[in-house]
Amino acid sequence: MYCEPVMRKLLFLDPSDNIAVSLADLEIGELIEQDGTTIKVLNKINRGHKIATKEIKKNDGIIKYGERMGHATSDIHIGEHVHTHNVLGDRLSTEQVAK
Amino acid sequence: MDSPLKAFKRTDGRWGLRNHVLILPLHSALSTTARKIADDVSGCVALNHDWSGEVDNDLPRVTKTLAGSAANPNNHSVIFLTLGTDVELEIIKQAKAITKQTIIELSLPKLGSIQTLTEQATQEAIKLAKEAEAEARVPAPWSAIVLGLECGGSDALSGITANPALGVASDRLVELGATSVLGETTEILGAEHLLAARALDEETGKKIVAMVARYESSINYEGIDIRGAQPSRGNIEGGLSTLEEKSLGAAKKAGNAPLTGVLEFADVPAKPGLYFMDTPGHDIEQLAGFAAGHINVVVFTSGRGTPTGSPIMPVIKVSTNTPMYKAVTDFIDLDAGTIADGIETLEETGARIFDEIVAVANGQETKAEKNGHQEFALSRMYETVVPPLFS
Repeated sequence: MYCEPVMRKLLFLDPSDNIAVSLADLEIGELIEQDGTTIKVLNKINRGHKIATKEIKKNDGIIKYGERMGHATSDIHIGEHVHTHNVLGDRLSTEQVAK
Repeated sequence: MDSPLKAFKRTDGRWGLRNHVLILPLHSALSTTARKIADDVSGCVALNHDWSGEVDNDLPRVTKTLAGSAANPNNHSVIFLTLGTDVELEIIKQAKAITKQTIIELSLPKLGSIQTLTEQATQEAIKLAKEAEAEARVPAPWSAIVLGLECGGSDALSGITANPALGVASDRLVELGATSVLGETTEILGAEHLLAARALDEETGKKIVAMVARYESSINYEGIDIRGAQPSRGNIEGGLSTLEEKSLGAAKKAGNAPLTGVLEFADVPAKPGLYFMDTPGHDIEQLAGFAAGHINVVVFTSGRGTPTGSPIMPVIKVSTNTPMYKAVTDFIDLDAGTIADGIETLEETGARIFDEIVAVANGQETKAEKNGHQEFALSRMYETVVPPLFS
């Protein structure tokens, strides 16, 4: 039932996603070649955090599991850490309350 | 697949996976007494809470929660400890309308002292616990399982490991004829359209969307920026950036089965299938809603780790990542981090969770049970009003 661990560093969840989930702590400058994709890591990214796998423009949707989970608050480059500093949820955000 | 289940058959046709005597104080002032009795008599559990007879807008919710918890099929019997007020008697009346199990009422004003109350309750508890112990499990159908799906302390692996693996187990159980209930309205916000698309009929789909909208507008009405709490600081440290991201991962606990129905807080599912129940994001309050809704076993996935249990339902804890599991094996039952490590497939981990649910349903103790965790919290919507009794 158990097989040898595959040492994947990134988890691609859905082909339409513009992010991947890191399965290891990633260091700046690290080059990841996996599943036919090559990505240069631009920030330190902890295990479980997201990395951009496509160029994302400000206000573009962040797509995970093939579903929209929020939008970019600035341009995000491939290999960049995608988190609260550059992502905001579409719903129940302060801007929405202010409207 | 024939059911390997053995459970306690209740006279009204429901099934208990446990057979304990519940000591239920109907005023917070009697919580310590209830706890002492349950600690002294083997086979008893106590439900402690902070309700002190407040007659306010939350009364129907509190009454429903306490009466429903008393009527949970896991209880062999219930001993109510009361101050003899009308609101307490109403709760007992409601419980009696739902369950045919033995109910004992002991009132402090009638018995005159805490000592007499404790002695009487202890005597009754010993007698009932003996009866409960003598009762044998009998072969039960798959429909005996009413599973609660819960997650707390989510991390970015929750939606990839433990939650979808639990979804595999839940789907298998639903297909076999069991009931599975997803909760936490806060944590499906942003994923409700996916559940609505799986609804058996149009009305159910509309209901789940309306339920989330109701919650969303109540939060907006109060002018709360929920992002301070959802995702929580722990969620954010774990890698989750938005509430929608957390919800998309949380909804994976419900697998891919069709959605049979939508329940208000503490409602009882009428027939087998997958349900959504309107519960708060607070883990222990939401477990109270499950207990009152007659759920008899819970699987609780966690990325950050929590020792939480319930007085009424066995709670199986599943970790989303292996480092957390290794750090706190004394209160986590299973590890689903193996999926992210490439050691197991989703289906393999799902099969392990399924097997664990069956074993626990048949009497195997969960770690929360072994550790004696019996947390309970009432869910309130409004400001508490001072009770007339003591004002």
